[in-house]
Amino acid sequence: MFMGDTYMVDVHLRGVVKRFGKTIALRGIDLDINDGEFVVLLGPSGCGKTTTLRIIAGLEKPTKGKVIFGNREVTYLPPRERNISMVFQSYAVWPHMTVYDNIAFPLKIKKVPKEEIDKRVKWAAELLQISELLNRYPHQLSGGQRQRVAVARAIVVEPQVLLMDEPLSNLDALLRVKMRSEIKKLQRRIKVTTIYVTHDQVEAMTMGDRIAVMSAGKIMQVGTPWEIYNKPANVFVAGFIGSPQMNFIDVTIEEAQDGINLISSDFTIKLPQEYISLLKDYVGKTMILGIRPEHMYPIGYVPASLQKKDKIKGIVDFVEALGSDTIIHLNTGSKIIVVKTSGTYRPKIGEELEIVIDLDKIHLFDKNTEKAII
Amino acid sequence: MKKLYRFRRTGLIGSPFKILILNIIAWIIGILWITPFIGIFMTSIRPFREVVLYGWWSLSPFTFTLKNYIDALFNPMFSLGRGLLNSFIIAIPSTLIPITIAALTAYGFARFSLPIKKYLFATILFLMAVPQQMTIIPIFFLLKDLHLLNTYLGLILVHSSWGIPWITFFLRNYFSLLPAELEEAARVDGASDFQVFRIVVLPLAIPGLISAAVLQFAWVWNDFFFALMLIFDPNKMVVTQMLPRLKGQYQVDWGLLSSGSIIAMLAPLLIYGFFNKYYMRGFRGWAMKR
Repeated sequence: MFMGDTYMVDVHLRGVVKRFGKTIALRGIDLDINDGEFVVLLGPSGCGKTTTLRIIAGLEKPTKGKVIFGNREVTYLPPRERNISMVFQSYAVWPHMTVYDNIAFPLKIKKVPKEEIDKRVKWAAELLQISELLNRYPHQLSGGQRQRVAVARAIVVEPQVLLMDEPLSNLDALLRVKMRSEIKKLQRRIKVTTIYVTHDQVEAMTMGDRIAVMSAGKIMQVGTPWEIYNKPANVFVAGFIGSPQMNFIDVTIEEAQDGINLISSDFTIKLPQEYISLLKDYVGKTMILGIRPEHMYPIGYVPASLQKKDKIKGIVDFVEALGSDTIIHLNTGSKIIVVKTSGTYRPKIGEELEIVIDLDKIHLFDKNTEKAII
Repeated sequence: MKKLYRFRRTGLIGSPFKILILNIIAWIIGILWITPFIGIFMTSIRPFREVVLYGWWSLSPFTFTLKNYIDALFNPMFSLGRGLLNSFIIAIPSTLIPITIAALTAYGFARFSLPIKKYLFATILFLMAVPQQMTIIPIFFLLKDLHLLNTYLGLILVHSSWGIPWITFFLRNYFSLLPAELEEAARVDGASDFQVFRIVVLPLAIPGLISAAVLQFAWVWNDFFFALMLIFDPNKMVVTQMLPRLKGQYQVDWGLLSSGSIIAMLAPLLIYGFFNKYYMRGFRGWAMKR
């Protein structure tokens, strides 16, 4: 049971509510995390993701609800009885201890024999590539190195659950990309159940086995990165994931002879017959149409595999050339629609464009509940 | 644009005229401040006759002597040496005891929630405002009943309890400034509340603890009032009590008194000098580089 061979545990949240005075931070969180899984809590700041993590850690007590590790309820246990580790946003590396002492601290507290501590600290330091820094003090380290110390300290005890609170947000962009893959690899290697908090969707998409998207103290959707991107459950998730953001257009549903018409103030999109059964309750009503910028193509850049498609027209309002991609802001009359296309394509401002929409990739949301229908 | 830039640059810091004025003001205040100390020092290292005849500021004639110091330290009637020893016996425990108790109290106030915390803390602030003279009669009778009058222990206990409120206040603010995540990290790693305090909080609060200790030590050392009221045995008298006894019944030997004052001043001065680095940092708060 040592060095990479950890106990694993599944984590369950049952109806967790947290109030701070009059403000409600969490409004009933239910979440099941399997053992060995890497789950990301993703959401804008103030959505309650850090509070959720702190409740799992035992640093906060929920107002209502339960936290269960395996078959053990831990809701009111202090952190030290939970067998967890945590990496903080500020790293929380103790400035008065050497790197070695920082990493050894959790083992010393648990009264692990000295030789064993030494062995484990060296194992963790090697894994994080900080072996040569063991005698230094935190103020002699760079941000990235301090971050590695914090991770080494978290894994040295071989916790049942590893919690990470925006561990990469204080690093510069290059280092962040590097650490992203390193943490993910490390987690695969030691197979520890990991809960990772971030507001960065790229981090969430690249690292998580599953993502729980949160907003205003609620979980909006839990799913694999593929599901979150391709099958967003509601307008919030659809808008939060993806860059540039998904285009949202109010459309009225009308039954036509051979399909369904989505009528907006600027254009009409025709859906084939098979959509009739899905949308029959919405005929005559307004829905929110969602199209991702990357699922629309200028003429000449349409993939041959595209089967169901329709076209809209507009005037180029603004162009962002990013090198690999070109972002076109298309004025369709009363709305601006954002289209992401190949970097080789450079339309002129004021030019009239015809854009092909991939109908297999569109989303339709109920206007009132904002839930996804298609 | 260019003009404005030049104006701002010279106006704020660069102007030599302004620097000159500021320097003159600073020097005047500094000299006014230090003059009495220089006077005492000069008086202490010269024969009394010279000071009386020519004034301490005149430099001719100037005779250097340590006689005053020797007389003050080994005065057969009122030994300043004994007073110094007694002062140490009183001041050291009177510093360590309240620091220990107040550190625990302050941490409780800084990090734990309890029902009447706000009112308790307000009480502490209130206690800091009470003048010593108001409490001396009950303290006197309390010590009398405890048979602690005229004992080291009695005075130590009084100083300790007098120190606890302000040190609690001082350290609570200091502890509140420490990043809570450092403590939470230890807690997650398995430390108990007391371990968090001992292993993480105390070492990080060393500048604050030292600042409080230096102030408390100087305060106890310089105290005259409590000692005067509670210690009567000449063998147990502290240095501040010994000092006025150096002046005779009918004639004041200023040389002796000055050298005694300098000797009495030395201990807090040395302690301040020794811990100066921490002391300043304690007041600025530990600027945690993160």
